[in-house]
Amino acid sequence: MSLEIEDVEKLYKIVSTDTVIHALNGIDISLPAGKTLGIVGESGCGKSTLARLVTGLEAPNQGSITWKGLPIHDVNKGSFSTKKSVVQLVFQDPYSSLNPRQRIGDAISEIITVHNLVEKNMVETRVSELLSLVGLADDLKNRYPHQLSGGQRQRVSIARALAAEPSLLVLDEPVSALDVSVRAEVMNLLLDLRAKLGLTYIFISHDLAMIRYISDLVAVMYLGKIVEFGSWEQVINDPQHPYTQALIQAMPDHTVIGNPESLAKTLEGEVPDPVNLPTGCAFHLRCVKATPACAVEPQSLREISSNHLVACMEA
Amino acid sequence: MTQPLLLSVKDLGISTVQDPRTLVNQVSFDIGLGEAVGVVGESGSGKTLSALSILGLLPRGVEVVSGSVTFKDKNLLTLNNEELRKIRGNEIAMIYQDPMTALNPVMKLGKQLLEVIASHGGINESSQNQVRALLSEVGIPDVNRAMESYPHEFSGGMRQRIMIAMALLLSPQLLIADEPTTALDVTIQQQILALVSEARKKRNMSMLWITHDLGVVANLVDRLNVMYAGRIVESGTVEEIFRKPKHPYTAGLLSSLPTSTGTNRERLTSISGVPEKPWLVGNSCGFAARCSRAQARCHSEVPPTVITDNSSVACFFPLGGN
Repeated sequence: MSLEIEDVEKLYKIVSTDTVIHALNGIDISLPAGKTLGIVGESGCGKSTLARLVTGLEAPNQGSITWKGLPIHDVNKGSFSTKKSVVQLVFQDPYSSLNPRQRIGDAISEIITVHNLVEKNMVETRVSELLSLVGLADDLKNRYPHQLSGGQRQRVSIARALAAEPSLLVLDEPVSALDVSVRAEVMNLLLDLRAKLGLTYIFISHDLAMIRYISDLVAVMYLGKIVEFGSWEQVINDPQHPYTQALIQAMPDHTVIGNPESLAKTLEGEVPDPVNLPTGCAFHLRCVKATPACAVEPQSLREISSNHLVACMEA
Repeated sequence: MTQPLLLSVKDLGISTVQDPRTLVNQVSFDIGLGEAVGVVGESGSGKTLSALSILGLLPRGVEVVSGSVTFKDKNLLTLNNEELRKIRGNEIAMIYQDPMTALNPVMKLGKQLLEVIASHGGINESSQNQVRALLSEVGIPDVNRAMESYPHEFSGGMRQRIMIAMALLLSPQLLIADEPTTALDVTIQQQILALVSEARKKRNMSMLWITHDLGVVANLVDRLNVMYAGRIVESGTVEEIFRKPKHPYTAGLLSSLPTSTGTNRERLTSISGVPEKPWLVGNSCGFAARCSRAQARCHSEVPPTVITDNSSVACFFPLGGN
């Protein structure tokens, strides 16, 4: 009863230059149902590609993804007729993910009727139920997206995802586009929904503080690979991969103040081109601990303590 | 304030031209010589408009309706465009969130940077070297090749470095930064923050840093102004604002932020509701509807800004008393 991602690889061909981008490279994840996996990494690390694969929007070039024993791609195939869609995705930007000309009530009821989830005369009741579930007033049904605040819109997006009665919810940067003072409320809503509905989450973010707050397990990604994996305590409070360590140090922290030294550079350079991946460990060009061997030998995850996996020979 | 004043904004009011709607109301703050000042606020709080008005760069349809912006004895709001042009880039430079909007996509970098010097009439044989030196100071590898490249050939982080080099070219006394690291990855953001911090100290340059991220300014600026619904609701040193916030909004914001380290995962304290539109505040405190300390007068009177020593707060019932 879990999400199993096995040896997944995703390539994108660039036709004009006849090159290949390695978006995901040998991803292995096992996520027990009811748990939350946080995926953190910088732009281009492949975290959103993984979200698209897990929700079945795209197929991997290699490997398999199954949810509760069923392959994702079969699970979602035909979901527009009778079967409900068990995996749903919430996008980052609630301004572009809602149809501006569709009333909120219609946006939600559409999902229910498409998946044929309740009797026709019960659709309206179900919409009200969903709105109240995400903490929105019932009279918002007749409003259009532009009449709502960013936080309200993201609640509508969550209600739409829940309308399909999923068991696995993929949240791709769900609070990044929201005002700072509104983020905490949406995060708390996600915690409440998880408890109430027994949902499994994949929570994708570049913000370690949000990842720390909500995740049971954390995967750190760099250039299409998982470089560190473990419980949130292991990864965030006892990071072993030099990249995880640098990422944590670089996070702006409002509890450390008046200390200009904290701005000291932790990491040189930028993420290399995913078309021409570096040899050996993809991180060695920026790594403070790199040895000559790191440029030659590719690193794969190994267990350094109970269920704490790190892809680094120096860890 | 110990340093002599460089810039002083007094009672600044900004409004839309048609169907006047208040966007910024009675904003006052000072920047001392060599001082770094931050403005934090959420979208729509008026932080960017306040900064743009300093250089007369407000978008069409929005105008300054009251107040003054004094920069070294000159009220910038009364200058004509030609006089302002001499100050822009030369004495006050600005960097933006998206460097692509500020760089010319079809002009080679070297030419673009030299043009900055030329437009202020100072080009000579040493200008080339001046540009090269700055590009290497901001960490552009292979400067000679960079001079012959176009902006699209650089990554987002590199473009921001180029923007900073461009801003520093004429040795301005004040650098205005409008969320220049918001679109960058955290490790690149940290590189840029370190770079700006370094460059500022070297030149004893003053800085106005605008952001929505309290974590970014925590170690970058000396003083902080917190904006909400078009007003500055609290100001003080970084130490005061983060350790002993007086305004309920500042306090609420700080406690709603999760930390990136530690073992504590208590539920976040959230602020209910959404930020008020500045033009709807009227005769009340803009935060009253979301405030747990609000009483009747908060909904019917505008709380005056009370100044004590180096800090100020606009609240009838501040935390820790007055």
